[in-house]
Amino acid sequence: MDIRLLRSSDIPHVQQANITNLPENYFCKYYLYHALSWPQLSYVAVDVSRPPKSPYDPPKIVGYVLAKMEEEPTDGVQHGHITSLSVMRTHRRLGLAEKLMKQSQRAMAETYGAHYVSLHVRVSNHAALHLYRDTLGFTNDKVEAKYYADGEDAYSMKMDLSKYRLQLEDSEEDDDAMDVGSAGK
Amino acid sequence: SARPLPHKEQNLFRQVVKYYEAKQYKKALKAADQVLKKAPNHADTQAFKALTLNAQGQTEEAFALAKIALKNDTKSHICWHVYGLLYRSVKNLEEAIKAYKFALRLEPESQQIQRDLAFLQIQMRDYQGYIQSRRAMLNARPQVRQNWTGLAVAYHLSGDLQSAENMLKTYEGTLRSPPPRSDIEHSEASLYRNALIAEMDEPERALEHLESIAKNNLDRTAVMEMRADYLLRLDKKEEAEKAYRALIERNNEYRLYYEQLEKALGLTRTDSSCLPQLLELYDSYAKQNERLDAARRIPLDFLEGEQFKTATDSYLRRLLTKGVPSTFANIKALYRDPSKRDTIHQLVESYFADASSNGSADKSQANGDGHSDRFKQFVIYFLAQHYDYYLSRDLSKAMSLIDQAIELDPKSVDFHMTKARIHKHLGDSQKAAEMMNAARQLDERDRYINTKCAKYQLRNHENDSAIQTMSKFTRNETVGGPLGDLHDMQCMWYITEDGDSYLRQGKLALALKRYTAIADIFDTWTEDQFDFHGFSLRKGQVRSYVDMVKWEDHLRDHPFFARAGLSAVKIYIMLHDNPALKKSGGNINLTNGIGAEDLDNLDAAEKKKALKKAKREAERAEKAEQERKEAEARKNAGKKTTGGDGEPKKEDPDPQGLKLIKTEQPLEEAMRFLAPMLEFSPKRVDVQVLGCDVFLRRSKLLLALKCIRAAASIDPEDAGLHEQIVNFRKAVDKSPPTDPKLKAVLDATDDLIPAS
Amino acid sequence: TEDAPAVPASAEERKTAAALSKLEATGDDNTAPKKDVDADAIAKAMQNLDVGDKAKAPEKKEEVKKVKIDATDVGLLVDELLLSKTKATDLLKAHDGDAVKAMTAFVTAAV
Repeated sequence: MDIRLLRSSDIPHVQQANITNLPENYFCKYYLYHALSWPQLSYVAVDVSRPPKSPYDPPKIVGYVLAKMEEEPTDGVQHGHITSLSVMRTHRRLGLAEKLMKQSQRAMAETYGAHYVSLHVRVSNHAALHLYRDTLGFTNDKVEAKYYADGEDAYSMKMDLSKYRLQLEDSEEDDDAMDVGSAGK
Repeated sequence: SARPLPHKEQNLFRQVVKYYEAKQYKKALKAADQVLKKAPNHADTQAFKALTLNAQGQTEEAFALAKIALKNDTKSHICWHVYGLLYRSVKNLEEAIKAYKFALRLEPESQQIQRDLAFLQIQMRDYQGYIQSRRAMLNARPQVRQNWTGLAVAYHLSGDLQSAENMLKTYEGTLRSPPPRSDIEHSEASLYRNALIAEMDEPERALEHLESIAKNNLDRTAVMEMRADYLLRLDKKEEAEKAYRALIERNNEYRLYYEQLEKALGLTRTDSSCLPQLLELYDSYAKQNERLDAARRIPLDFLEGEQFKTATDSYLRRLLTKGVPSTFANIKALYRDPSKRDTIHQLVESYFADASSNGSADKSQANGDGHSDRFKQFVIYFLAQHYDYYLSRDLSKAMSLIDQAIELDPKSVDFHMTKARIHKHLGDSQKAAEMMNAARQLDERDRYINTKCAKYQLRNHENDSAIQTMSKFTRNETVGGPLGDLHDMQCMWYITEDGDSYLRQGKLALALKRYTAIADIFDTWTEDQFDFHGFSLRKGQVRSYVDMVKWEDHLRDHPFFARAGLSAVKIYIMLHDNPALKKSGGNINLTNGIGAEDLDNLDAAEKKKALKKAKREAERAEKAEQERKEAEARKNAGKKTTGGDGEPKKEDPDPQGLKLIKTEQPLEEAMRFLAPMLEFSPKRVDVQVLGCDVFLRRSKLLLALKCIRAAASIDPEDAGLHEQIVNFRKAVDKSPPTDPKLKAVLDATDDLIPAS
Repeated sequence: TEDAPAVPASAEERKTAAALSKLEATGDDNTAPKKDVDADAIAKAMQNLDVGDKAKAPEKKEEVKKVKIDATDVGLLVDELLLSKTKATDLLKAHDGDAVKAMTAFVTAAV
């Protein structure tokens, strides 16, 4: 499966993946809002091995992460937020969720200077909790009561992005090092 | 003719505007009426009242009042602006543009009107008009960077890349010092300029420009990708290699990077002398990272013979040991090559044989009953899917294997899902739906399996069960219940499958209703882009905006549209050919299995009886629907009457699709689906053949011929095409064209049609 | 209270609605130019632009040829090819007013 940036043309199938897999769904316009406000942050997993059926086949989306920067951070700190993350049931156990998240998180730090990333997860969703807490390193920040439309509570989780910011500083030093000794630009 | 209002009324008028903008429509109307009491012909107040009425859904009254307002003051830019807004709200963009232009002429300083006009122009892809508007906006406020970028975008979309770049370059030239690193608008504008240079096919200049902006640019991935791309285009192979390796370090699961790296290394997959290096390349990446899939899977595409066997063996063992359910899905594309299919088959059968005899064929595991059990399970599962797949089908083997798998893990949702699929391929949609429901019950919290279950129920004509199933995850308090929610949330797959199901059952009205809903959703998606014409410039993310506009240009080439469209057009053809269908409420199966088209063959008495029965059934259905609506209205009294987007929800005037069926012009109505399919999916032979079918009935010989020629260029052997060619000849023989110009064109172009 | 738009059910929905309503913000008029803007440089750049525009205009005029279009031909294309009047006229212009050429080109265009 390919992991790559989400483009506007992916939206119909991302929307379909979302409404197939999750109870929290969005209008096309909301996906556009993400893709056009923070185009660097959302990624898709694409099944590229499928033989094409017609000349107009769109990419087969088997997973996605829809991400943004928090428009009005309550704590005043720039941070990213995961609006939605899902992988088709038929494509689990390939580490796709983790791979998608890592790409998104790095972009949050690099492009928008995010200090941390937050997300909400249903308190009963053990599989997701395991992914975020154990595999990716998120921590519980607080519980938001009746967050979901069906009344279920959500854990609000956070993950620090310092490691991506450190990587960034390292590579910036490399760039500077390259400048020294190269012909003036 | 417009006298100034007295002081009190002036204030009231300002209130009207405030209330309207705050969406407090009742208050706006009240204030407006107070003004009109004292000044009954105050055009601007009437205009805003009209706008408010429209927002409340009273479109006819709104237009009537707006026209009166205009009569009272033809020189009011507010009235013309409002008139334009009203036209826009009913999607008559051409008239809206005319009205805005009038308004702008009267009030050239109004930024608001200028912007509204500009956005309409680009929405309608009036590039020249948009360029004019953006020029005017730039002239009015040249200190705002957005206006420079906006004009650049206008030129770009119109195809004038040079002028587009010039705008960006000129603005940059005015900067005294480079903007701060955090200035995202600058970062993006720089990349946009660079993308333009690349699009003008000047990779050398693009590379140079990129080096000058790279250091502080915020979109690191884009900079790296563009740089690598230019280096490769300029044949700077060594630097390109470094660049792509750096990209792979950041994201090692993107095949494009590997393909480009191969090019940078001068490797071709079809050249056998390159094989050792290719293998080494992918091996080196695979070694570095245990979880990396791409580097292990890619070689399977180009390897052959023994090498293919060895690599596949290792790949399959890895995934099957881990218990990855998508192993088969991942591999099946290779089945296109029969020898690869057979190799894979042999390998997995050998795992099965080993696993059955000594409990584990996993060479890397010395121990682990858990591991070996899982391996065996997934080997069996793989084989079941293998025998279910059309290129290697043996359904009885598939069934026996999936039953074995289920025995090993009776709670597996995946195994029950596959068993349901096998039933489907055996042609038993009843058992398939039951089995999929059994799978669903194993994990009631998972929407994926819920979705699959509903789909299989629809394939089995169980429309009511399907919506029941879906209701476990929909917002059922929405107007229209679960089905209403699915429409709101643009759930195309369900609406289409529901329509397909009704079509198979001969219930044309409901089928057409569903397909029409699909077309409506595509219209919404077209409308969605509107707000971004302004928004994206404010945000500065121009490249993704341009990408979006270009996508919208061919939006309806998406298979979702053609799938609904092909069926909808077929229904319209049926309605045209069998007017009796209107009387039966669009039901093909009237009574005792008599179809609508059979009506003509009945004698007068039988025909009368059949029609009467059909009419009674249609009336009964309408009454039941009426009662259901009343019951729901009682239930919903006081509940929210807004749709998912917070907008007031209008009552559906035709919930059963009966009005759609009763159209007097089915073939004209069909164009709503056919025209976009011909424009955006012309390379589909089924679209061209269907087009010909429609155009012959409409006596448009040239259009029919165009379709025939197009179809022939795609697939000359298509059976539907042959049928249409015969139909064409018959049509021409029956009514030969008389117009000499028409005849001349036909003579010049009907070389594909055999003489009668 | 009747006027107030319905409040969406969950915190999540509220956020979504808020984000979407922001899109329609008409705050463009109030976009302040950035602090570092060099007004003189801008004015100079604008002057050069205008000159550039004027230089372009005459070029475009040359491209517009005088082609005589027959109204019956337009009607024929509208009828037979289901084109709008504007598109039919444009198609005829592109083929020197020759209806047979225009229609033949239309029918034989590659997909």
